[in-house]
Amino acid sequence: MVDSQLLGMFDIENETPQSETRSVEEDILEELVDELSFGLCIEVHRSCKIGMFKIEEEDDEALKEFKIIDQPGLDVFGQPPLKKHLECVCPSCHRSLSASRFAPHLAKCMGMGRNSSRLASKRLAINSGKIDSDEDDERDIDWTYVLQPPRTRRMKKEKPVVNPLKRTKSSKLGKNGDIPSVSSTNSDGSGNGTAPVKLSSGGTPLYDSLSLEERKRLLLTTCGVISEHTKKMCTKSLRCPQHSEEQRQAVRRYLLGLEIDDRVRLRSDGTVIDSDDIQVDIDTYEDGDGQALRDTLSRLRWETSSSGNPSPTDSTSTTNSNEGQTKKRKKGAKLTQRKKKRPPPLQLVQSSGHSDVTQYDIANG
Amino acid sequence: MADFSERKLKDTQMKASINQTLIESGEKERLKEMLRNKLIECGWRDQLKAYCKEVVRRKGLKHVTVDDLVSEITPKGRELVPDDVKKELLHRIRAFLAQQKELSSENIPY
Repeated sequence: MVDSQLLGMFDIENETPQSETRSVEEDILEELVDELSFGLCIEVHRSCKIGMFKIEEEDDEALKEFKIIDQPGLDVFGQPPLKKHLECVCPSCHRSLSASRFAPHLAKCMGMGRNSSRLASKRLAINSGKIDSDEDDERDIDWTYVLQPPRTRRMKKEKPVVNPLKRTKSSKLGKNGDIPSVSSTNSDGSGNGTAPVKLSSGGTPLYDSLSLEERKRLLLTTCGVISEHTKKMCTKSLRCPQHSEEQRQAVRRYLLGLEIDDRVRLRSDGTVIDSDDIQVDIDTYEDGDGQALRDTLSRLRWETSSSGNPSPTDSTSTTNSNEGQTKKRKKGAKLTQRKKKRPPPLQLVQSSGHSDVTQYDIANG
Repeated sequence: MADFSERKLKDTQMKASINQTLIESGEKERLKEMLRNKLIECGWRDQLKAYCKEVVRRKGLKHVTVDDLVSEITPKGRELVPDDVKKELLHRIRAFLAQQKELSSENIPY
């Protein structure tokens, strides 16, 4: 009877006829709900006693105040994002710069690093009224291989002046034999008059096709040492700090004394290419060489290593000039003494029965 | 009256046995967990907690007791349970009881 009151409260569906069962269900549910609310009571009481209640309460207020805002276009504080320009004032020049540019600027301004230190020191010198010597600058630029392009550009500027001459002379020179330069010796079989034109247009060194007078003139005004990398001549003054006096002398010897030599060399080129199976006897060569041979040897060494830096890279690249011949030689006789860099004429001396021998002898006096 | 008291006794016996079955089978725990989740979901817990806070404030933080809270909260808790949650739970319990009755109709005296 008591249960029926409860039943009225809780019974929503009057399907089940048994009032006892229904009340049991309700009792169970009520019990469960009570348990849960009791649990909550315990929890709240506990939080009251350990002081959490106060914190939580305050936290609620704080949460309202500092509620995280989740809206597109706003940050968590509900503020539209502002682009902040952080600016730093350079302590050296007192300019204000954006923070991202500050570090590079400071490096330059304070004179850290190679380039900037140079610039900075220059500026300092200007400011203090002293004039810094440009020599140092130039040397620095030239010693770095990376900074070579500017030099080549300078060369190109000069080129148009020389080029017409080259073109006109080329045919004449062809008669004499094309002047084999450090690089043109590589191109085998080009013993004709047409070759120099091709080569010069293909970017071979200028000094290839200059006449003796032109060379003289050139060498009187410029340093003229042939660069190993660019195969071009140094266009600086005679007192260019990059190259030594020895190098300059060697180049002069090479360029001015070239014409006689070259004829032989050129002719010999053709012959060497034909005679693949020439046997070179080292012993006879050693015995038979004279002062002239030594001269040519040293000369060749100079022309190949014109930059005069005895570094391993140099030695590898210098062999290029004689590679064409040395390879051929290697075929015939596996020489262990390739370092000698014997010039082609020497081979011809050894290769008996060739007409070039006489030529060579004439050439070397 | 004798009939009434007899019936009451029978009722309590039955309730006790049902309760025991519920606990033994673990159904009670399952039901409680389900109810808890449902009530948290529908915000019953938050409402009740807010009410708790009110009670605490009224009584004073230092002086509030568990008895105070229980006496105030329990009727409020019963009141606040949403109808659909109630319905679902009742269904569930009914299904369980029917199942039990089928399984052991001879054991449970009705």
